[in-house]
Parts: sequence; C-alpha cells; structure tokens
Amino acid sequence: MRKSRNLWATTVAGGFGLFFLLPIFGAIYTALRTDNAIASGPFVWEFDREWSHFRNAMGAAGYDFASFFQNSALISIGTVILTVFISLPAAYSIVRLGFGGAWLLRIALALRILPAVFFIIPFYKLFTNLGMVDSIRGLILANTFVNLTLALLIFASAIKELPYEIEEAAFVDGAGVFRTLWSIILPLMGPVGVLTFIFSWSDYLFAVVLSSSEATPVTVGAANFVTSYGVRWGDISAAVTLSILPPLIFATAAQRYLVKGLSAGAIKG
Amino acid sequence: MRGNNRAAAFLLATPFLLFLSVLVIWPTYLGVKTALSRDLLSEFEVTPAGLENFQMVLEQPQFWQALRFTLLFALTVTIFECLLGFALALVFDRKFPGKTFLFSVTLVPIMIAPSLMAVMYRLILNQNIGIVPGILQKVGIEISIFDERYIFWALVTLDALQYTSFAFLLIYAALQTMPSEVYESAAIDGASPRQIIARITIPILKPAIAIIAMLRLIDSFRTFDTIYIMTGGGPGTTTQTIGIHIYKTAFITGDFGMASAMSVLLVMLLTPFMPFIIRQFRLDAK
Repeated sequence: MRKSRNLWATTVAGGFGLFFLLPIFGAIYTALRTDNAIASGPFVWEFDREWSHFRNAMGAAGYDFASFFQNSALISIGTVILTVFISLPAAYSIVRLGFGGAWLLRIALALRILPAVFFIIPFYKLFTNLGMVDSIRGLILANTFVNLTLALLIFASAIKELPYEIEEAAFVDGAGVFRTLWSIILPLMGPVGVLTFIFSWSDYLFAVVLSSSEATPVTVGAANFVTSYGVRWGDISAAVTLSILPPLIFATAAQRYLVKGLSAGAIKG
Repeated sequence: MRGNNRAAAFLLATPFLLFLSVLVIWPTYLGVKTALSRDLLSEFEVTPAGLENFQMVLEQPQFWQALRFTLLFALTVTIFECLLGFALALVFDRKFPGKTFLFSVTLVPIMIAPSLMAVMYRLILNQNIGIVPGILQKVGIEISIFDERYIFWALVTLDALQYTSFAFLLIYAALQTMPSEVYESAAIDGASPRQIIARITIPILKPAIAIIAMLRLIDSFRTFDTIYIMTGGGPGTTTQTIGIHIYKTAFITGDFGMASAMSVLLVMLLTPFMPFIIRQFRLDAK
C-alpha cells in the first residue's frame, strides 16, 4: 500500500531525470543517425551502420579530436596529482600541527570569492613570461589553482574528523603500517580526486585563454567545432558524447565520494 | 620536540605557501597593477594610468548593461534552482521504487562540463535539427528560441539543467541530518504532511538553504562558458555577462587595462559576501 502510494515520487524524480538527460539523449541520438536523416528533420530515424560520426570524431575526418582528448586526460590527471600533493600535507599541517591556525584556512576560503575571470589576465601575462602559454603544464597549474580551496577544505574537515587513535594505530601496528595508512588516506583522497578530476576536465575559461593549439582540451575543442564546422552536427554530437564519458564513468563509479566531497565542501570551482 | 613539530608543520605547508605566493598573491598584484595601467595589446609599452581605466569602465554603457544582465540572470537562476532543488530533495526524502537509480541520474549534470552541456543544449534547440523546436512545431508552436524575447529563459533553463543538481544535493544532505524523531512525533501529534513541511522542515532547513542560495548566487554571478557558447553574448550584447564582457575586452578588443579594472570592480562587488562564506565553515584549527 505504502509503496504504491509513492509511485508519484518515482514519476516526479523520473521527470526531473528526463529533463537532466535530455541534452545527452539529443547528442547520442544525433550521433547515431546518418547525415541524411539529420538533415531531414529531428524525427527521421535512420541508423548509421558505419558509425561514421564517431569515426570522424576519432580522426577519420582530420579533426584533432584525439589529441584534445589526450590533453584533457593529461591536464585532469596532472591536476589531481598536484592538487593532492599540495593540499593534503598543508591540511594536515594546519589541522593537526596547528600551522597558521584558522587564519590560513580563512584565506583559502576568501579565495573562493575571487572570480576566476579576475585571474585570466595575470595568468596570461605570467605564463607568457614563463613560456607556459599553450602548454599542459600551464593548464595543470591554472586548474590546480581552481581546485585548491575545495581540496584543502575537504582534507581539513576529513582530517579533523579522523580520531587520533586510528592514526596512532597505523604507526604502532608495525605489521600493517602501509595497509593502515593506505586505508586512511584512500577515503580521504576519494572525494578530492573525483571532484578535482571533474572540475579540471570541465575547465573552459582558462583553457580558452591559455591554450591555442598544442594544449587544447576537449571543452574548447568541442566548442570550436560548433563555430568552425557549424553544419556537421553529427560529428559534433559524436565528439561531445565521447568527451563527456570519462568524468561520467569515473564519477558514477565513485558516486559515494562525489556526494561526500560536495557536501563537505559545499563549494564548486 | 616543539621546535621539531613546528619545522615539520612548516615543511608540510611549504608547497601550499609556494603555490599561494606564485599563483595567487603575485597574480593579484599583477591584476591590480594592470588595472592601473594603460595596457593595450596593440601597444608595446605599458604606462601608468592612475584611475583612468576605472573612469572609462564606469562611463561605459556596455559595462552597466552587462552588470544589470548578470544580476538579473544570477537572481533568477538562484531562485529557480533552489526551489527546484528543494522540491526534489523533499521527493528524495522518502522511499520510492527506483530511488537509487534516479538519484544517480540526478547527479549526472554535476559530472558534465558546462561548456559541453551548452554545446549539447544548442544542438537540441537548433531550429532545423533540434528535438525541442521539432516537438514545439508538432504541437503548433513556431518560435525561434534564439530570439531576443526567449533567449533569457532559454539560458535560465540551461543553467537550471546544469546546476539544480548541486542545489538538490546540498539541500538533500542538510535534510538527511534532521533526526527522524522530529517527524515521528509531529505525525503522532496529528500534523499533516503539508504542515510538517511548512512548520518543521522549512524552518529547520532555512539556514542551509540560505547558504546554498548564496553560493549559487556568487557562482552564477560569474557565469561565462555556458552563455558564451550558447549566444556569444548576443543577440547584440543583450546576454553579455560581466565575465564575457571582461573576456572580450581583454582578448578581442585587446584592452588589458580596462578588462582588469572591471575584474577589480567585480571582486569589490563580491567582497561583501566574504564574511558569510568564511563563517559558514567552522574550521578553526584544533
């Protein structure tokens, strides 16, 4: 009785779900149809047996999409590593060793207010001087800047919740030191890893300013597709469908961490 | 021992402090300095200009237009996303068939790059090949969505598509922290579901929703990529956000000085929010 009464909830949540997924359906639907069908209108269905749009996107038509994809992967993974390397020790130092006190965390929080757009010109100038415009390294630095506050906050609140005893046990219990350490660090890194990966894969502003060809990621590449190949909607759809997959797969697999990280940080880059 | 600890603390924080100085403090100085300089892409020399850039920005109609549009857009999407997110959180606050799956579906927009979402959204709204105009035509509505009259709401919908999930997730998380006894005793006392929501849920959630609304407001105030990809700020400059205006001034017009002055003004506009954001995290060191 109670279950059947809640079917309305399924309907409402399902309606929202359809709304959220509509653009993705649209992209997959267009990518799977032949050019002929696409040109004939939105409801003409003719399956493209050749998968030509996906093959074009992957390089058959001479787009540089595969390298955009590789750039996004390198930038995102590099950003995750650098962000963890910088923020985890800092959070430990601030929370457990009292470094800088609440003061340092306040500064980090205040950074949250500063809009990324404020930094595009200084970064452009700085990176030009350092010879890092249009480089993967440069974009890793810029994205680390974007994600650092969130990572620091998540690490800080997680370390605060961590009982000293667990930490001590990890050091005392000689046999399983590494395993114990790993079991402490991994749950800490999960939320930061997932969120940093998503946000650096999503970056558009810094990529559009700081890359021109060599380091272009998928976000800028896909947007350029629309302006340069405006009529080739099939190829664009296939390219976008492929572009959204890595964070989607990664974050769905690690959904627990995503939820945990977002509620801990209540923040977005 | 104590000194040892202090050295370790400093060592562990060194990468952070280094990064902070090179990529935050130094760029902030550069940004302010640029705002106070005549700095054009077309001229090699950069010369001090005092407050000239600020004066030019404040006299520029496009700046005020962008500011007005950004404010209107940010307020509208914040209200919509918080309302929708709250409604969705209430729905998910009970057991229903398919809940786990639909929860995952609801989180999908968070995982998608806003710029890619905008490309897909443009595709489904495309006048010739898009599903949405197709469906509208079938029911007899023939409108051009990219027309000046409808574009604002199209952009609001895109933003809601992207960020309602954020609002939902945070409100839902706040809702989860409410003890179930509160509900049970209210139900025993004979309160109707509607009364429970109005008298208990909303008052308890109010502070959480206020914070989430503020975060959404600050974030939507700097909207750049979605609108830039959808309309490029057009038709004309009607959908130009502050972010787009700054970007165009710097990299299309080539006036770094003026663009930096606008950035400084934008930061000053957002600064009053700073204490609220800092206060919400009670993260004082142990």
